[in-house]
Amino acid sequence: MSHDAAGRRCPEGHASEKGGDHGCLDPYLRCAFAGAGKTLAGVLDACLVLHSPQGCHGLIGDALDSQRVDFSKAQVVSSKLCETEIVYGGEERLKETIREARSYGAPYLFVMSACGPEVVGDNIAAVCAVMTRECGVPVVPMECAGFRGNEHQGIDIALEKLLDFAAHEAVPKVPRSVTLIAPHASANPAWPADLAWARWVLGEMGVTVVSVLTHKQDMQGIARTPAAETSLLLSHDAGARTSERLAERFGVEPVCRELPLPIGLTNTKRWVEALGQRFGAEQVAERIIEEGHQGVIRAIRLRGPNIEFYHRVEAAVAADATLGIPFLRFITEDLEGVPSAVFLRSCSEAARGVLARELEELGLTPEVVIGADAYGMKQGLRRTRPDCVFGSQIEWQFGQELGIPYCFRVISPTGRFHMTDRPYFGYDGLINILEILQNEHQDRWRSRTRRYEAKW
Amino acid sequence: MDDADYIVFDGTLAEYLRRVEAGELVSKLQASHAPPCKFQTAASVISGINNVVPIVHGPRGCAQSLRGTRVAGCQYRGRPYEPTLCTALDESQVVFGGEGKLARAIAEADRRYHPDLIVVMSTCCPGITGDDIEGVAERSRGQVRAEIATIRSEGFGGDFRSGHEDAFRLIVDLMDPPTETIPYSVNLVGARVGPSYTEVREDIQELQDMLGQFGAKLHSVIAGGCTLAEVKRAPCAAVNTSWCFDWGRRIGLLMRERFGVPFCESGLPYGLGATADWVRKIAEPLGLSAQAEDFIARETERIEPDLAEAKRLLAGRRALIETGPMRAIALARMAAELGMQAVIFNMHPYTLRERKEAIQFLLDSGQNPRVLLTRGAFEMGSYGASKQTQDEMEAFLGDAQDWVYFGSPLRFPGVPLVNLATEIGQPHFGFTGVQNIARRAASAMRHAHRERSGLMRQAMYGVAVHGDLF
Repeated sequence: MSHDAAGRRCPEGHASEKGGDHGCLDPYLRCAFAGAGKTLAGVLDACLVLHSPQGCHGLIGDALDSQRVDFSKAQVVSSKLCETEIVYGGEERLKETIREARSYGAPYLFVMSACGPEVVGDNIAAVCAVMTRECGVPVVPMECAGFRGNEHQGIDIALEKLLDFAAHEAVPKVPRSVTLIAPHASANPAWPADLAWARWVLGEMGVTVVSVLTHKQDMQGIARTPAAETSLLLSHDAGARTSERLAERFGVEPVCRELPLPIGLTNTKRWVEALGQRFGAEQVAERIIEEGHQGVIRAIRLRGPNIEFYHRVEAAVAADATLGIPFLRFITEDLEGVPSAVFLRSCSEAARGVLARELEELGLTPEVVIGADAYGMKQGLRRTRPDCVFGSQIEWQFGQELGIPYCFRVISPTGRFHMTDRPYFGYDGLINILEILQNEHQDRWRSRTRRYEAKW
Repeated sequence: MDDADYIVFDGTLAEYLRRVEAGELVSKLQASHAPPCKFQTAASVISGINNVVPIVHGPRGCAQSLRGTRVAGCQYRGRPYEPTLCTALDESQVVFGGEGKLARAIAEADRRYHPDLIVVMSTCCPGITGDDIEGVAERSRGQVRAEIATIRSEGFGGDFRSGHEDAFRLIVDLMDPPTETIPYSVNLVGARVGPSYTEVREDIQELQDMLGQFGAKLHSVIAGGCTLAEVKRAPCAAVNTSWCFDWGRRIGLLMRERFGVPFCESGLPYGLGATADWVRKIAEPLGLSAQAEDFIARETERIEPDLAEAKRLLAGRRALIETGPMRAIALARMAAELGMQAVIFNMHPYTLRERKEAIQFLLDSGQNPRVLLTRGAFEMGSYGASKQTQDEMEAFLGDAQDWVYFGSPLRFPGVPLVNLATEIGQPHFGFTGVQNIARRAASAMRHAHRERSGLMRQAMYGVAVHGDLF
């Protein structure tokens, strides 16, 4: 059963990603195995050993792509389980695969178990213990079968496991430092640029980034995580549990937990201000905000995007929580639109409070669905009939079928190829979003037919 | 590098097949090489039917592997958005069984999407826990409007080929016995995924158009964007012919066995001789041989200038062919027509074993090209293997100036390269395909003196044209 931000049950016809009361789902999110893979693909010196049939490999291909892993350096092997291993057990096959993986020379081997071996009861932990002794490097079991949940839950499973490598003894805190959590749990198809922007802001403030959980992060850095004074969660969908665990176990203070992520002018301003206050860098924050704000104004004056379009248009937001929650204020305040429907694929428990506060502060009473699948999304759009949708190519298709005039593909999957990462966070992010909206708007108007033939 | 350092096999296709069968060339794949699983290939075939709703009985990750295909159907193949449903099994259903959830999913799918056909596809979890998907489907029949079919498609249950074959078998099971035989009608069988692209011409469209040129009529494309009604009436066609010879052969033989529909068995219509064979084999049982000969003569004349130019540039040279196995064998025949000696490079034992029936048919038809296998083929799947294969190819070609490479521009053989990248958006099949390849070959020869892109080479192999990058 899906619920709105206030905990009310959703109208009839909505499907929840949890799938609890429903028989079928048309899901946006992948499984836990994929989410764990996405997290581990962000660890630099790890080799992923998939204890799975060969098809699960495809999910890891997406993970490598998401984490921008150079294909010539990717280290993924699969035990390629077949019927024999399912019937008689796959532990020997796993050992062989680990030996092969070891030959690549990676200092850490993560054994990701898929549905098959977990159901039949392969003792993956025992195999890993034996192989750790044989290989002389950590062989780490990661129980992340697809049935353990959706990809965001898989991210949490993997982050939790990675924290086992955090130094257990008391480590001296690095003054004015932070660990960044779950930047990859985002539907910005170019999310590494959001991470880069956050790092830039922190760098300007003289804050040391101790570790990133995870993106291009080595295990040494992960082990140093408890040395961070603070943690900064970069997702409203996953990673909250890790943030809490860091606080409980290592006294790592979460910052900006109550704020929407920095998309749009106000959200960015509040987020940067909060960081400035926490790290005693108020003046730097002020400068970032002032320069960024002026940069956006300048870009709008120079290029003249069609921002007048959005005035009081009813907009549906079809996104993950990481982008969907901050988009509400961006649409309302910066674009003068009216979010009339909010369909979130997922939202962490912690972020539901953020969503509720945003709606209250903005005076919005949209229909809210958390955990919408594609059916729920289409039904919601059919019911609410917005003037435009901020969503993915899937909602773009629905928009075509339902006669919704505009669908802005800003949410993954956009169906667009990206060679460069461009942020949604911050001021450059705001300009990027305006650029996407402008192009999508113009595309809507482009002629697809010719009224008459040329004479030459 | 001495030949013995890297050449594992150098002989005829027949000898290669014999040694693979005898277990002398062990199909040891690097674990990182992972083609699709049985579930994924079965799903791609099922998706070839319009207004079908697959219910993936398993966790959501399995459904996601199909979803990309379904969404691409909207984007590129002119389809509406069609759902990819799953039962999203969790730990509880893995422990206590997911049959109840599956029954609800069938009812819900019927109510929500009004499909013609629901196909329940089992994945690893229910395959192990023993959910009775056939029983659930049976109990649901009569309670829903849609027809229901089931397929055991657990990822561990077989290789990618078994998924294709079982799905085609399911499609044949859906067919009705023929009530008539429609004169001159032809099914193109062995298609999957969905209808062809709306904006870019594909091989299958070329074949469809060719049928009309000698009096035959396209009945259905199974399963390339066909309806359930078309599937049911498919046995009313006068003959079946294949699009993809390998996959098409399975369904063609099944339909012949079950419904007596003649199957016009021939290799891929790649090159002049193979295309003419393809046409003749369809025309003969339809009684259209005379029209077919006229068509072949017309088309041969039409493409003659391009073919003659290609022959002028290529005759007497050697062709090194590196593509998928069925295409490679067809190309070897085409190369011979151009006056070349063909060598197929690194046709992997795995692909040979999986396709042995189809390959045996081609051998029986007199096609027996030379095959060269290097150590890199046995390391297939890793980046290092690709680099190793590149090095081995360079060593094999050496300084010889008479080779021409047929394959992908991602390879840097150091000899003229005929670009067979299918993304180029022009058919390779049929007479127009002969013309297209001939033109590309001529272009390769005319521009052989030009340097290859250092950028592309660095990206692929870390080695610049003028030195090492890494």
